[in-house]
Amino acid sequence: MSDTIPRPLPSASVASREKVISIDNLTKAFGSVRALDNVTFDVFAGEFVAIMGPSGSGKTTLLNILSLLDVPTGGSYRLDGIETARLAEAEQVVIRREKIGLVFQQFHLIPYLTAVENIMLAQYYHSMADRGEALEALDRIGLADRADHLPSQLSGGEQQRVCIARALINDPALILADEPTGNLDEGNEERVMGLFKALQASGRTIVLVTHNPDLGARTDYVIRLQHGRRIA
Amino acid sequence: MAAGNDVVSVRRGGRTERVKMFAHIVWRSIAVRSGRLGIALAAIVVGAAIVSALTSLYLDISIKMSQELRAFGPNLIISPRDAQEAAGQPRGADEALLRAAIAAVPAERRVGGSPYLYGLVRLDLGNAVLMGADLAQLHAISPYWQVDGAWVSADFDDRNAMVGRRLAQSMELAPGKTVTITGAGGEQARVTVKGVMDTGENEDNQIVVNLSLAQRLLGLPGRADFAMVSVAAQGPEADAITAEIARRFPALNARPIRKVSENDGQILQRIEGLMALIAAIILIITTLSVNATLTAMVTERTPQIGLQKALGASNRDIVAQILAETAAICLVAVLAGLVLGFGLAQLLGQAVFGAWVTFRPVVVPLTLGVSLLAALAAAALPVRGAVNVVPARVLRGE
Repeated sequence: MSDTIPRPLPSASVASREKVISIDNLTKAFGSVRALDNVTFDVFAGEFVAIMGPSGSGKTTLLNILSLLDVPTGGSYRLDGIETARLAEAEQVVIRREKIGLVFQQFHLIPYLTAVENIMLAQYYHSMADRGEALEALDRIGLADRADHLPSQLSGGEQQRVCIARALINDPALILADEPTGNLDEGNEERVMGLFKALQASGRTIVLVTHNPDLGARTDYVIRLQHGRRIA
Repeated sequence: MAAGNDVVSVRRGGRTERVKMFAHIVWRSIAVRSGRLGIALAAIVVGAAIVSALTSLYLDISIKMSQELRAFGPNLIISPRDAQEAAGQPRGADEALLRAAIAAVPAERRVGGSPYLYGLVRLDLGNAVLMGADLAQLHAISPYWQVDGAWVSADFDDRNAMVGRRLAQSMELAPGKTVTITGAGGEQARVTVKGVMDTGENEDNQIVVNLSLAQRLLGLPGRADFAMVSVAAQGPEADAITAEIARRFPALNARPIRKVSENDGQILQRIEGLMALIAAIILIITTLSVNATLTAMVTERTPQIGLQKALGASNRDIVAQILAETAAICLVAVLAGLVLGFGLAQLLGQAVFGAWVTFRPVVVPLTLGVSLLAALAAAALPVRGAVNVVPARVLRGE
């Protein structure tokens, strides 16, 4: 059973914090195929966790459920204390925009909006657009001078940093990053990982989905999936 | 722990900022797809132009038809052969003689007929031309008059009058008001305005009373200037009736006002239906064209819609954006369509009626409303497609 898999003990400071993610016997079936099979784990506030596994192991399905873009067929998923499996779609939208920041492998910036406007878009769907705050966010990731550039005028690394700034702008409880360095060169990969480590140091909770064992090794611990089951 | 809810309280801006951001997203989304959306824009421009042109014509056509249908009204005029007044002779012709001439038109061909007497009178606020006629026949002779209020339908009614539209405006008259008519000899009559008529002709400046009252006011008892008859006959038959009157009444001159063409009238009546049909077909084509463009546009932007949803956009946000883009395009297209449509209406007005078409403000909201409805109907399916976008799939490139 997955719940027999030992989980590294959180540090004293982490243990005193609350659970951001609490997954219990999570199952997702597509017909007769079980993409996720009784997966259980917790992620505490301030942890940096990697989810790893080969293709078809259920990483994507798990990430979709964690980001409330999909619903499980069984088990429980509590996000920041809220049981999400029973939420209506409209409620999931609200939880997603208030508690989750998404970082994508493909960056997924709106091509006709500038860097700062892409960040303001997340603000807009959350509450209200604030250009000043969005510019400050760009400044923190070293892209203040690129604020009014379109995504096509930015390098891959710069686009990913804008994507991270966008994920952070609403101060989410959880940052979910899906292969965030998959399309970046080594230099930019290092820069992005440095950014994640800095975010963790400032108390952020981060879940990273990756194929890269080197990146996994730089997180607090790794959740390994195979054929939909947690194996470590 | 860090949670998002405190963010709202520290953000600067408010509803205005949200509206500005929404408008910016809509504008940028339109601008980046200007090429593709140009097709939808052009389709709506054409649709709005046709609707606007045909609506202008439709609203004007009753007046234009009235002018055309005047040929169906009094189409035979009977007047004294010698218009020169002999010394001491009252002007015009004997009313009884004119009535006899009217009666000479075969009853089955006679739609209506009346002697007419005209003269200058004074009303409360100024001078006006008085028309005396057989009020029981007037409606039959001039069915195209548009009357606000009611017709005076009894010939013996000498207490009610009808007033032309322009005269009513200048003399501040309206149905229900009374007015005193004073003839040149000081004869007076107080009458109530029963109807205000819009004829598009000289009658718009006249006041109409029954013939005997007009004769008393003008001091011309038993006289009339001429008679007009509406005859339901054309060609040789109409000529034969005219010749018969001339033969039987040598003191009178009978001549047709205009050759009647019933076919013309029927065609004019059918134009309204034809215009509605053309407008409907154009609108359907417009709707299909806009639908095709918007469907392609939604398909093209599916990844962005998925991303917007992943970022927290609700279905309502997505629908609002697509509808706002459609409405914005529609608004620009309708403005262009109105200008084009008015020009087209002039071309059609000249071609069909030989007249300029009057600009009527009601065409603007009507065209905008119809075009918006067509565009929003066209957006229904694409919007449904956008709502059904599953972010998890499109963000993975599936």
